[in-house]
Amino acid sequence: MAHHNEDEGSIGTSMHGVTAREQVFSFSVQGEDDGPSSHTVGFDDPTAKFALPVDSEHRATAFKPFSFAKPHMRAFHLGWISFFTCFISTFAAAPLVPIIRDNLDLTKSDIGNAGVASVSGAIFSRLAMGAVCDLLGARYGTAFLLMLSAPTVFSMSFVSDAGGYLSVRFMIGFCLATFVSCQYWTSVMFNGKIIGLVNGCAGGWGDMGGGVTQLLMPMVFHVIKLAGATPFTAWRIAFFIPGFLQVIMGILVLTLGQDLPDGNLSTLQKRGEVSKDKFTKVFWYAVLNYRTYVLFLLYGFSMGIEMTINNVISEYFFDRFQLELHTAGMIAASFGMANFFARPLGGYASDISARFFGMRGRLWTLWILQTSGGIFCVWLGRATSLPIAILSMMLFSVGVQAACGAIFGIVPFVSRRSLGLISGLTGAGGNFGSGLTQLIFFSSSKFHAADGLSLMGIMGMIFTLLVAFIHFPQWGSMFFGPTSDEKKSKEEHYYAAEWTEEEKRQGLHEGSLKFAENSRSERGRKAASDGSSPSTPPENGNPAHV
Amino acid sequence: MAIHKIILASFIVYLMIQFSHGATKERLFSDLEKDALDVTAKPSRQGVLDAGIDKLSITWKLRSTAKKQANFTTIKVKLCYAPVSQVDRPWRKTENELFKDKTCPHKIITRAYNKSSQSFKYTLDRDIPTGTYFVRTYAVDAKDHEVAFGQSTSEAKPTKLFSVQAISGRHKSLDIASVCFSVFSVLALLVFFVNEKRKAKLEQSK
Repeated sequence: MAHHNEDEGSIGTSMHGVTAREQVFSFSVQGEDDGPSSHTVGFDDPTAKFALPVDSEHRATAFKPFSFAKPHMRAFHLGWISFFTCFISTFAAAPLVPIIRDNLDLTKSDIGNAGVASVSGAIFSRLAMGAVCDLLGARYGTAFLLMLSAPTVFSMSFVSDAGGYLSVRFMIGFCLATFVSCQYWTSVMFNGKIIGLVNGCAGGWGDMGGGVTQLLMPMVFHVIKLAGATPFTAWRIAFFIPGFLQVIMGILVLTLGQDLPDGNLSTLQKRGEVSKDKFTKVFWYAVLNYRTYVLFLLYGFSMGIEMTINNVISEYFFDRFQLELHTAGMIAASFGMANFFARPLGGYASDISARFFGMRGRLWTLWILQTSGGIFCVWLGRATSLPIAILSMMLFSVGVQAACGAIFGIVPFVSRRSLGLISGLTGAGGNFGSGLTQLIFFSSSKFHAADGLSLMGIMGMIFTLLVAFIHFPQWGSMFFGPTSDEKKSKEEHYYAAEWTEEEKRQGLHEGSLKFAENSRSERGRKAASDGSSPSTPPENGNPAHV
Repeated sequence: MAIHKIILASFIVYLMIQFSHGATKERLFSDLEKDALDVTAKPSRQGVLDAGIDKLSITWKLRSTAKKQANFTTIKVKLCYAPVSQVDRPWRKTENELFKDKTCPHKIITRAYNKSSQSFKYTLDRDIPTGTYFVRTYAVDAKDHEVAFGQSTSEAKPTKLFSVQAISGRHKSLDIASVCFSVFSVLALLVFFVNEKRKAKLEQSK
């Protein structure tokens, strides 16, 4: 970066606004080389132009959810709302299935297959999204997804059979990659000490879209019917609402947002300020790490199950308990809306357990949360009365969503070099799990939906046992302590192993070493008694909730 | 903590009520008197009927063999799915418990019971799905409980069924609006993108 001053902007030191002569910056922040307008009074302290306190990389060190100040908080809000909008679009069909299935003469298999298709597209788009954001910046990454998938949402008006329905749901599903662009954007805007909370909120609040859509779409449908349309036309018109939301958000992201704290990517790249690692290396180290695959599967049975429920729960309540469409929608919505607090709660629980028991605490927390989610899912399937079904569903939602938050308490420690790709892969695992569970349990007439739910819960609990296989030589695993080998039990050894000798000689692994030192807190209480290491939480405590 | 105890207690009480309530809900289809009414449903034309356009001429009359007619207060006429339209569609399943049965979800008409022959000309509603159907009339008593029924088809080998083709729900105006908004979305994105690339190039050349 051009400026290397080490001023950690703590709250109260920002001089922004004090002299009333600070320049108001529009979208592209001009550098020191440009015209007289950028020579402001507070120029000696470049951090003065930010509304929030920032660190040396101009990442915000404070999180103020009620603020819309540019660039940090604005990026946060634009990011999570874009992701939220895409969740609305992807699951918009679910609460309307009782109407759509009559209009298009769908069978249970048709409905199930379309549900699988709706989450499958994002497996690939999430994997590609990291690279896209590197190339185009977070703004265009997000805007491309929003505005290029809006036509697919509008095209629901053309659908006339099962095949068309499946294709459109498949194409809409690609926009779930906004998840990656959202966390990418917050990761460049917020300092590692708070990134856990920031990403937990962004992830959780975005996921809420899957709940809100269950309320929104039946309501919109009802209003359109009142305006005079027949049901088989009204549901098609209802799809225009998520479509509009996507286009509006896309325009807002492009006009109000900024890629990086110092400006937009195209401007900064031309100045040579942004450097990247080699993709082949990043990919190689992600693929070689067995923990990547374990996390892929684990997330498939927390986020994956959550997405499956978003697709099936409204229809389930409608059919099983003979409810009105909007009543079923309301109940289904409360499942997704629990994300507002459940996911950040999971991340927080992971952080607390790490304070006492280190990484082993995080692993146990994950296992407990995800298994209890599975137990309550089984109970939901067994429930024959409405109040018990709702109670078990709420407990199930908290368990499974907190597990999502807890998984991302662990992901950042699996790799430093390939963090972005592993986060993306874990996210893709969620979609894979959702497609798999919908295919097995909800696409054929072999099981009643109720049995499908119970069996899915059991399958989830079995796969959650895989947590026991995540072992870190420096910290241990659920059942084993850290290795006794003198060399291998150092964090530096684990993270430096991702760089070749040549790269180490060039000093490219410095960032990993710094991270390793900060990650010593994952030893739990022992780290505090260990004198030689800092007892403060690591620099990147709990990043990248995907 | 007191509030938690109250909530838990009221919840348990509610559950008890639910469990006991469930026990009285088992009125069964098999308990109803079969073929109490003679029902005919004549389509207005041959072939597959169009929802929203074609009509059915429905007539129903008390059969001389009926026993429970003293209880009949209202007649409910409904459109029902034939077995072929229930395949792989568990939301249309036939169940013996009346409150769970989903065979006849579409109401045609409800009329007070009259001993003489009744008829009704029914125009197929625009939200009738594509499928194969028959007509069933339920005779209902003063407590709104079904006591008997009659239907336009025979139970063993379904005959006299008719097919309906649903409306598509699509409209040209909707299609056009959809295309317009899609084009706007893509164009807006391209305009922003090209503009910004141009601005960046200009800045670099400075």
